[in-house]
Amino acid sequence: MGTPKGSTPVAYLDHGATSWPKPRPVVDAVVRALTELGGNPGRSAYAMALESSRAIFEARGACARLLGVAESRDLIFQSGCTAGCNLMLKGLLKPGDRVVVGSMEHNSVARPLARLERTGVEVVVVKADPTGLVDPDDVERAVQAAPTKAVVCLHASNLTGTVQLIGDLADVAHEHGALMLVDGAQGAGHLEVDIALLGVDAYATSGHKGMLGPQGVGLLYLAPGLDVEAQIEGGTGGGGSESPDMPTERPDRYEAGTANTPGIVGLGAAAALLAEEGPAQRHREAELARRLHEGILEIEGCRVLGPPPAVPRVPIVSAVHDRVDADRIAFTLDRTYGIATRAGLHCAPWAHETVGTLGCGAIRFGVGWGNTDEHVELTLRALREIVTS
Amino acid sequence: MSVREARTYAAFGFSTTHAALDAERLLKDLGVPVTPIPAPTILGGALCGIALRLELSDVERAQTLLERAGIAVASSGEMQDV
Repeated sequence: MGTPKGSTPVAYLDHGATSWPKPRPVVDAVVRALTELGGNPGRSAYAMALESSRAIFEARGACARLLGVAESRDLIFQSGCTAGCNLMLKGLLKPGDRVVVGSMEHNSVARPLARLERTGVEVVVVKADPTGLVDPDDVERAVQAAPTKAVVCLHASNLTGTVQLIGDLADVAHEHGALMLVDGAQGAGHLEVDIALLGVDAYATSGHKGMLGPQGVGLLYLAPGLDVEAQIEGGTGGGGSESPDMPTERPDRYEAGTANTPGIVGLGAAAALLAEEGPAQRHREAELARRLHEGILEIEGCRVLGPPPAVPRVPIVSAVHDRVDADRIAFTLDRTYGIATRAGLHCAPWAHETVGTLGCGAIRFGVGWGNTDEHVELTLRALREIVTS
Repeated sequence: MSVREARTYAAFGFSTTHAALDAERLLKDLGVPVTPIPAPTILGGALCGIALRLELSDVERAQTLLERAGIAVASSGEMQDV
């Protein structure tokens, strides 16, 4: 382990925000897209544009296979998970509708819901337990109280790493005639996600976190037949261009404008990689996160948020210290040791309020691709030195 | 440079590029030769995007295969091409 040089971290533990470094096949795919796939996909039939279109078609297929989506056209490319969450919420919820949502949501759900609430959508928040788990029985009681259009819950918390019982929540929602909508930003890639098995109606996810793709691309799954109103109109290149309205067919209905070909092709390469290496990678990062978690618990004054080490979580370990503020720890980790982490509220004030850290924030260690035993050991040693100095 | 004689082909139009490429892959995999082309005027309201050109003799088989796979042909017609 060296000392920090320039801006490149010695140990990158901010995978909860974005993965880094990107796997080589992802980098190669992005370079290929920029150098060889220059045509505008879906617009023209000359050879280079066709290759761009085919590359996006193949990338969509690779993502669909990885995530258990039978028809790849039901998987929509978005600019990220935030855009996907906005589309599924604003495209489905109308004034007068009622929605039940867990209290661990990120602002990518909380803020669209706040806006919808101002238009007349009733938003009922179900508080998670102190480990961040949303109890399906609590959700059922909330759903039973009045006709409900949808239940919304994230797959895994970006603060506590808590993995929600999405299958059970989907059963509750469907038993009472509601839709099940999921923010899977921290789920896909870090968890083995089979959307068909989960039985959800919509699942948004990031392309650049656990999925290991480039930034600027995400995915939104919409169940067949689910009528979600498009939020952006524009050119789609395909048939029906003479119509003033967006096509009704997927994926074009939700993909107006020129596609992010480098991002999508990079994500497709990442999905193909995860299909091969995902199980081993998930095992490796879970083990590193567990060791980090247990090591932090041994440091005097440290408390780790979320479930205990024995409970499976996505590889996110957030902690607070009883004397040293999270922002000071993060700053020293970076400047003295070259360890990249994230302090603060992590765009998740609801989650911090749920676990009692809204006033102080927390320091988050996000484990992922490329992390090693040495990164964990260095981080534990550094953390020990910082809080005892 | 040689000048080829125009022949009559069939053209299939699709409502999305995704559907056109899905059809291209399926038909090629099953031994039906197709060529992606700019959507021709004979397809009427689908003048933007990609269509598939194929031999007239393959039309019936192609339609059957696409129908079985759930890929909808939005429009079709015959065209002169070289």
